[in-house]
Amino acid sequence: MKEAMNLPNQLILLPLLAVVVVNLPLGLRWAAMLGGVFFSIYQMWTMVFLPPLETGFFDLQIDGLSRVLLLSIGLVAFVSILAARGTIRDKRERFYFYNLVLLAMVGMNGLVMVRDLFSLYVFIEITSVASFILIALRRELDGLEGAFKYLIMSAVATAMMLSAVALLLLATGETSFAKVAEQMRLGGSGLPVLAAGLFVAGLLIKAGSVPFHGWLPDAYMAAPNAASILLGGIVTKTTGVYALIRLMQDGMFGTGMSPVLLLAGAVSIVAGALAALGQRDFKRMLAYSSISQVGYIVLSLGTGTALGVVGAVFHLFNHAVFKSLLFVNATAVEDRAGTRDMNQLGGLAARMPVTGFASVVALLSTAGVPPLAGFWSKLVIIVALYKSGHPVYAAVAVLASLLTLAYFLSMQRRVFFGKLREGLEGVKEAGWYVLVPTLALTLITMGVGVLIPWMFGSFVLPMEKF
Amino acid sequence: MISSPLLYCIVYPALCGVLLLVVGNRIKWLREFLLVLASGINGYMAWALFQKSGESVAVALPWAGFGLDFTLRLQHFGGFILLAGAGFGVLISLYSAVFMREHRHANQFYAYFLFSLAQTNGVALADNLVMLLFFWESLLVTLFGMIAIGREDAWKTAVKALVLVGISDVCMMVGMALVGSLRGTLSLNVLTQQGVALDGLGGLAFILLVLGAVSKAGAIPFHTWIPDAAEDAPLPFMALVPAALEKLLGIYFLARICLDIFKLPSAPDNWACHFLMILGAVTILIAVMMALIQKDYKRLLAYHAISQVGYMILGIGTAVYAGIIGGIFHMLNHALYKSCLFLSGGSVERQAGTTDLKKLGGLKAQMPLTFICFAVAAASISGVPPFNGFYSKELVYDGALSRHVLYYVAAVLGSFLTAASFLKLGHAVYFGKLAEENKKVKEAPAAMLIPMIVIAGLCVLFGPWNELPLKTFIYPILEKAGVEYHTCHGPIPHQMMLVAGTLIALVLAALNHRYGVKRTGVGVGASEHIHHAPVLGWFYDKAEKRWFDPYEVGMKVLRGGSYALFYLDRFICWLSDGLAAGLTYLASAIIRWSHNGSCSRYVLWALAGAAILIWYVMKSA
Repeated sequence: MKEAMNLPNQLILLPLLAVVVVNLPLGLRWAAMLGGVFFSIYQMWTMVFLPPLETGFFDLQIDGLSRVLLLSIGLVAFVSILAARGTIRDKRERFYFYNLVLLAMVGMNGLVMVRDLFSLYVFIEITSVASFILIALRRELDGLEGAFKYLIMSAVATAMMLSAVALLLLATGETSFAKVAEQMRLGGSGLPVLAAGLFVAGLLIKAGSVPFHGWLPDAYMAAPNAASILLGGIVTKTTGVYALIRLMQDGMFGTGMSPVLLLAGAVSIVAGALAALGQRDFKRMLAYSSISQVGYIVLSLGTGTALGVVGAVFHLFNHAVFKSLLFVNATAVEDRAGTRDMNQLGGLAARMPVTGFASVVALLSTAGVPPLAGFWSKLVIIVALYKSGHPVYAAVAVLASLLTLAYFLSMQRRVFFGKLREGLEGVKEAGWYVLVPTLALTLITMGVGVLIPWMFGSFVLPMEKF
Repeated sequence: MISSPLLYCIVYPALCGVLLLVVGNRIKWLREFLLVLASGINGYMAWALFQKSGESVAVALPWAGFGLDFTLRLQHFGGFILLAGAGFGVLISLYSAVFMREHRHANQFYAYFLFSLAQTNGVALADNLVMLLFFWESLLVTLFGMIAIGREDAWKTAVKALVLVGISDVCMMVGMALVGSLRGTLSLNVLTQQGVALDGLGGLAFILLVLGAVSKAGAIPFHTWIPDAAEDAPLPFMALVPAALEKLLGIYFLARICLDIFKLPSAPDNWACHFLMILGAVTILIAVMMALIQKDYKRLLAYHAISQVGYMILGIGTAVYAGIIGGIFHMLNHALYKSCLFLSGGSVERQAGTTDLKKLGGLKAQMPLTFICFAVAAASISGVPPFNGFYSKELVYDGALSRHVLYYVAAVLGSFLTAASFLKLGHAVYFGKLAEENKKVKEAPAAMLIPMIVIAGLCVLFGPWNELPLKTFIYPILEKAGVEYHTCHGPIPHQMMLVAGTLIALVLAALNHRYGVKRTGVGVGASEHIHHAPVLGWFYDKAEKRWFDPYEVGMKVLRGGSYALFYLDRFICWLSDGLAAGLTYLASAIIRWSHNGSCSRYVLWALAGAAILIWYVMKSA
């Protein structure tokens, strides 16, 4: 029994248990939020200190990569739950929201710890289903449309991934990462390669890389604000990008996949940034920005080198922090000013100084301005690209930073700077449920950047070895 | 410490200048008192130092290292310059104390006046080339300040002066650096002992140093600020700086370059001598041609200040005994008569309120003493015997004729034109009809007359008694420089043929004047027939439009260049802000337009992407 409650199992079972308990007719519905907050804090706590090497059900294991992801999941879930408490007015909706976040955590925690393709697929589906409902939570037309698009595209992805698993089972008789990787190394051609291609295409849909990204802007924009934080901050990163990183790291693709990833990454960066430039909806712009930033991660992964993987994971973590922060800011703005249309906003920094400052920090980190966190991960990515002999892609990565800066500065100017728009005089700073996550994420962004020598030695580099 | 007087005579006037700046304009008599007192003490110190200049007095203090030592050395030539500069300082300070009393920035002017004296002493005493350059360049600051506090728009002229003199000073600085690197020392004393050859880099250094020196003295082509300053700057400035101090310093350094560093007299057939002589002859002719047609008292004098430098350069450039003596003697004489002329112009300006020749006339009766001083100085500059200018010009003619007859002809032609233009000036101001508004004009106050009378007296004294300045000041210079005594020259005037040439030129000038006055009926029109002569007229026209002014031309070129750079900048800006941004927004619009929200379209994109991906992976595997 003690065996059964080791850390990997806890991370799956505790949230599941919480969902079951608060839904039993015991009058414990009020405990849902507390459960979520405590569990996410517990998850972060255990991940900051070196987790023990234990194996749970379905061969669940925590290694360096999983550790970074689990930490990010705990952080974003924590932020998302607090933001939901602050911005979702309907009590029942709020209760559903906490339950769904806990379920999504079950899925995400599971998928970053599993060691075989089929379990990976199952946990991805758990996360996705929770996400569909989160998007449609308000049962409005927008939300339903966004959820529908995500559902349809996910179905395509599911079909691809499931057939890939089937093909692999047919060809090798195995689904565990290690065994499949061994088979691929022995001379993969024909069926295994087809399976790998299908699986990657499915993951790219989940990750929202161009041209598989159609669902993403609508889903992010239509979801309730607190759900957008979760989706944009971590869900697509675990379901899509993490899985890609894991499979790449375990050597399941061979070398043939590198050019594909490089191209998809570069196209995503540029197209996402260009699309973001033309948006007037705050959250839709952030959605396109996510596409662009995912492009960086995929591009880094495409190098196929250890440094590239490190850069990808580091950027993934940073992206979870700063993109959550930006979504939190968008949440605060919409909650107080009543609109997300950037053309109808202006001068809010005077009324919402903390949010305005946090937004500056987040956008500078995204654009890769030193000494903030985003600069260092982009630096690692560019160095990895250059060292692996892709100077052109490195140049694209550098130049796209200009586009990033362009659309973010335009956002900052239209929303926070300049003269206060008429009708916004009564706007107040966001409440504490929003400000606490804002401050926490701002501090992390700045802290990771400033303490980079220590961060690099103790978190980023051990990812490979641990 | 024997060396301390050398330091005193630099530090003391500068401190007095600072004191004047502190005192301000509140207590009027105090400023003037301080100015005259300081100049007087400076004059006394210079006199005392000149007595010692036979002994070798030097002060050396460690300074920046790398051969940049704070070295002062009193030698004979420097002592002479020191004394001459301080003497003019005394006289002109007396004049300024009256002339500038009502000026709103009088204390600044007085302070710059004293700073200039300190810097002049510094140049005359400096032994290290960098020290010399330091004092030389710092004269630019006071030059700028003294011009800028003149008329309303005087700062434009001040900038012009600063730019032109600054450029020539940069030339000199490069020349000094070249000499320093060639010989490994910056000490004038050591350089004098070693000498520098005139080939290759040495020749380049010579040209650069000469450009710096003669531009300070006011020769072409960096001269164009002087006529403008004559109109814009306060008058005592003109009498002090361009007429006296700058001539003294420029020619002093030119002489040291030619005699001490490059030792021209040891090889008089050098290209360098011809370079100097041509520069001198051209300066004489062009500047005097411009002077001839001027219609403003001070502007006309300013062009003569340029023209007369030509004689000095020509004289030193001949590299023969008579010529060099003539050049240096002419420097002293010119400082005398030209400051006297400027002072007379200042008196007329103060009493009559204008210097426009068309409005003046008939002042002889009203201002008799000023007129006499003017007449003496004008006769002197025109080379009328027996005034001092005659003797120094004769010496220069002698040197020029011994080199080539063309140089002599140019010099005599210059004399003819000088005489013609001074006949015109004197006629226009002091003779002719007295204008109605000038009826009440009185003689200038005593404090302004005294300097003029003293200087005019010296002009007379140095004529027949030319042995006095020559023996005291100038012969020892050439002796030190080791120039051989030229036998062709006895007591001056020594060659009756030269005298005859001069007299013919003067008579011709008088006839020319008569013709011009007859033609137009007024004194100011005496040069109209030359001004509007067929070919000359065109050149005059363009010169009046400043076509030949290197500053104005340079500014036009710069303005053209800055327009070109401006449009280049706009173009680059358009590339980034217009073209690049436009393309970016176009791409952004296309991407936005393609995201029309259709789910089937998105699925198709994804499927197409997947198909390409799988095809590629299968193909490459």
